[in-house]
Amino acid sequence: MTTHDSLSALDLSVQLGGRPVLRHVSCRLQRGWTAIVGPNGAGKSTLLRTLAGLLPPQSGRVELDRQPLLNLAPRERARRIAWLAQSSAVTGELTARETVQLGRLAHLGLFAAPTAADEAAVDAAMHATECEAWGARRLHALSGGERQRVLLARALATGAPALLLDEPTTHLDPPHQVALALLMRRLAATHTLVSVLHDLTLALRADRVLVLRDGTLQADGVPGDPALRAALEASFDHAIHIDTTRSGRPVALPRLDD
Amino acid sequence: MTARRTFAALLLCFVATAATAGPAIVLRDDGGAEHRLAAPPQRIVTLLPSLTESVCALGGCARLVGVDRYSNWPDSIKDLPRLGGLEDAQVERIVALKPDVVLAAKSARVAERLQSLGLRVVLVESQTHADVRRSLGLIAQLLGTPAAAERAWSAIEAEFQNAAARVPPARRGQKVYFEVASDPYAAGAASFIGETLIKLGLGNVVPPELGPFPRLNPEYVVRAQPDIIVASQQALQSMAGRPGWSALKALPRQACGFVEARYELLIRPGPRMGEAASALADCVAGLPAKTAAATGTKDGQ
Amino acid sequence: MSATLVPPAAAAAAPVLADAARRRRLLLTLWGLAVVLALLGLAAGPSGLSWSAWMADVGGDQAMLILGQIRAPRTLGAWGVGAMLGLAGAIAQGLFRNPLADPYLLGTAAGAGLAVVLVLAGATLGGVAIGLATAQWLARLGMVLAAFVGALGGLTLTLMLARGAHEPMRLLLAGVVVAVVLGAVSDLVTTVSPEALRGKQFFMLGSTGFLGWSSVWVLAAGLAVALPLSHRYASALDALTLGEDSAASLGLDLPRIRLVLVGLLALATGLAVSQAGLVAFVGLVAPHLVRRHAPAPQAFTLLASAAMGGVLLLAADVLARCMIAPQELPVGVLTAVLGGGYLMRLLKRQTSE
Repeated sequence: MTTHDSLSALDLSVQLGGRPVLRHVSCRLQRGWTAIVGPNGAGKSTLLRTLAGLLPPQSGRVELDRQPLLNLAPRERARRIAWLAQSSAVTGELTARETVQLGRLAHLGLFAAPTAADEAAVDAAMHATECEAWGARRLHALSGGERQRVLLARALATGAPALLLDEPTTHLDPPHQVALALLMRRLAATHTLVSVLHDLTLALRADRVLVLRDGTLQADGVPGDPALRAALEASFDHAIHIDTTRSGRPVALPRLDD
Repeated sequence: MTARRTFAALLLCFVATAATAGPAIVLRDDGGAEHRLAAPPQRIVTLLPSLTESVCALGGCARLVGVDRYSNWPDSIKDLPRLGGLEDAQVERIVALKPDVVLAAKSARVAERLQSLGLRVVLVESQTHADVRRSLGLIAQLLGTPAAAERAWSAIEAEFQNAAARVPPARRGQKVYFEVASDPYAAGAASFIGETLIKLGLGNVVPPELGPFPRLNPEYVVRAQPDIIVASQQALQSMAGRPGWSALKALPRQACGFVEARYELLIRPGPRMGEAASALADCVAGLPAKTAAATGTKDGQ
Repeated sequence: MSATLVPPAAAAAAPVLADAARRRRLLLTLWGLAVVLALLGLAAGPSGLSWSAWMADVGGDQAMLILGQIRAPRTLGAWGVGAMLGLAGAIAQGLFRNPLADPYLLGTAAGAGLAVVLVLAGATLGGVAIGLATAQWLARLGMVLAAFVGALGGLTLTLMLARGAHEPMRLLLAGVVVAVVLGAVSDLVTTVSPEALRGKQFFMLGSTGFLGWSSVWVLAAGLAVALPLSHRYASALDALTLGEDSAASLGLDLPRIRLVLVGLLALATGLAVSQAGLVAFVGLVAPHLVRRHAPAPQAFTLLASAAMGGVLLLAADVLARCMIAPQELPVGVLTAVLGGGYLMRLLKRQTSE
């Protein structure tokens, strides 16, 4: 049973190594699929990590359901926000299923043994990402795309209503990208799903798009909004052009005219 | 005219003889190298305490210009520059002293370096009594006083006999466990320490087959039940605490413990071996007598 | 999504069974080996391994002494030290996510070595100022206590230099710095005191020769604390394989967890080193051998590494006693040959598969 959590950034400013990465970013994220896009170095991953409570902001705060995130105990926060890392540098000898089981640490802590409910959650998460078939294979023996699905299942297994995914489609081939996009759409119905995406066309299929550039929020709106599209093109220095397909879907095309 | 010719002929002969006369000192060192010197060296550096002591015992102390860090006998070398050990000798300082000869052990890494810098390095090895006698001969020859070696060796032999006489007859043939290091390493019958013990009329728990300084299974010592234990005082203090060693009948009273300075004397194969034998003999003579009653009590422990 | 899914249960079941079977087999083998080696350890003495010597020993009047006071505690102690080192090595490799990590990384070895050298040098430089009666225990106890305190001291220095256990990289570098500096100080002391140099060399090689019942109790107590605690924190090590941030996002208090694990590492290493000196290679190779035979989450790997380390050192100890009896080989040489040789064989077999 997922609750309707809202994750808000209020005037967030974040520094990394003394350098300001985010400047006065404010947004309110609710149930549905929100895509965060922007050029390299815009601060997308940093925003996601700060929303996940992994980075303390220099000023401003993050609120989960109107409660400051930093007031929450780490495990409580882990039960309500799940975060998926960008790259998957994998060490260790865990199997896929054992990896997904790690997602239940938020509920079990270090010392409790898994119950039937936990196993059911793991099964459901693996079923949703379609990686049950290789449950017993070692994580490091899987391909990048397969690994990504297992790690996504890990995030799902936490049962958190808020899912923050940092470039989840990076290692996936087109069929799997499509499958993941469909999965994200399905999950967005019951979760607050935020994903940082490089693929603009995919991002434009989300419910909402946040455009970041140089640490500031350039635009925050629905994909159909022309103002958003204009801001998107401007953020990428007009290297891309938002067009519409015959069926009315927005698509981002690189400008290769010259 | 004839007198002048005779004189010239004699001069010629003399010069010829002088020219073809070989160097004053020819010797082969323990490394197999041959050394030819025109005259006995006047500036000597030694890199091993036993070599320092040998040079001094043979009357060459005044010629020492530098010694190693561990040399500490006799007192007269107190102010000589210390040039490091065998492993880390200070090459630059040795060269700066301009020695005529450097005495070192065969295992010295620095020997090659010094030789390549043009110094004469004489390698001397002493592992056994025979070695010590031979090295005394070698060094005496080097010093130009070959007769001094036999004198020195006779003195040492006399000290051995003297010491042996001081060992109580009841102790003759008793087995000694001489601990060289606490792993435990023992001095076997094949080592120079073992030879000294034999000359004192004492036995050894370590037979010659095991080599000079074997690393023993501690259980071996317990089973061997030595009659006398010789070790550094520090080692003796913790010996009874070793597992099973409290059963050693020789502990605590039939044991000779030596402070570090005296212990060093015992483990140096050099001209002071006689003094070492005396120290051992005195200690053994001073041990309480093992009466039948005392033995009984120890068995009951 | 794709409709050609293999029914999950059947496909996943076979490999899972193989995993569990391999773990069971490994544990059984290790326990079996431990028992066999322990019996051999009771029989190995200055005459090596021989049936007649064994019968003589058992029947002799010194049986209680030889078997009970000398061989039994030495055998058990060797296993205990090996187990400690194996556990410590597994923790180190899990904590730093580095297969080359060993228990001596964080300044523990250098600290223990320096403490031992100081005790040896101090005793000789200070002359014999202590009465013989008290000195008997103080000297032996002093070395053990000094090594343990030194190990913890070295680790504390490392933690201070790295300003806490937050960043593994900084911790590793601080450990290297501390090891080099303390090693240099130790070398300085040994140039002044030749007795300390001799003692230090034996400490560096490691030795199981003088393990008595007091050592066994201390090691047993240490294992009783370290094994369950490590087991409890094992899943944290698993979570860390996902990456620092991912582990943090799971709600784990990483700083505290790392501190506990580093503390366990120090305890295990300190106890092992204080009893047997710096035995090489056991901590490094035991987790590797476990992973080759039965890859598993850390909960299994930690305990199995302890069992593997125990067997490794016990085998080395028995061989050390038997090969050139009544002389002994340094046990550290044998652990390197046994452990390293076996690992090479396994690696070769894997590459040819």
